Amino acid sequence: MVGTVVVRLYATAREAVGNARLERPAGPHGVSVGGLLDALSHDYPALAPILRHARFARNGSYLRGRSGRLRPGDELAIHPPYSGG
Amino acid sequence: MSVRISPRPLDLDQATRELGRRDAGAVVVFAGIVRPDSTPAGKVRALFYEADSVMVRKSLARIARETLARPGVQRVVLWHRTGLLAVGEVSVVVGAAAGHRAQAFSAARRLIEAVKRDAPIWKTDRLWSPPPRRRPPSPPRGSRSTGRARRTGAARR
Repeated sequence: MVGTVVVRLYATAREAVGNARLERPAGPHGVSVGGLLDALSHDYPALAPILRHARFARNGSYLRGRSGRLRPGDELAIHPPYSGG
Repeated sequence: MSVRISPRPLDLDQATRELGRRDAGAVVVFAGIVRPDSTPAGKVRALFYEADSVMVRKSLARIARETLARPGVQRVVLWHRTGLLAVGEVSVVVGAAAGHRAQAFSAARRLIEAVKRDAPIWKTDRLWSPPPRRRPPSPPRGSRSTGRARRTGAARR
């Protein structure tokens, strides 16, 4: 059975994709964060420039850049630059 | 420390009361307010605030905790609103109580700067709709500009 990872998108990233949540196949051994982001950039070209300045979090914890892997069932959050206040 | 992320309106008096006990020599409260900026696309009538609901609580708590650990700081409040806020509404309240004014000012400044830099919160402009454009005068019958008038009409829909 092929698992999936969930991608959560906020603000400009959500607008670029047109959806706040995506599911992507992860395979039994998961998928690299970099590989997943490259695939998203390919599928949603408007997302690519946003990803260059975004922060990423896996299951609620920030990642260092694009390093790391996602296992089936994991959640990746894409955070464009913050603008609270 | 008091940390809050909520769509409910923020009460400045409540923040001051939470900070201002007898042992504090100084209390500083800062409020961020939605202002009616003018942008090339129109005038701002409201801002929509959204947050990563899971991560923002951890982020705000860490900012408050680190600020509270600074010398002389006795209490902090860190409140942020979400949802649609009209011009004039309070979007964020930060405050610090400390032994001396320099410590309180510094702590409050640190809180708001850290929120803007590190808290997963985003705002989006909501603009006044531009007034409807005046219909251009009809071209003379038989004019070659008929096609242009048709395109203008389509754009207005």
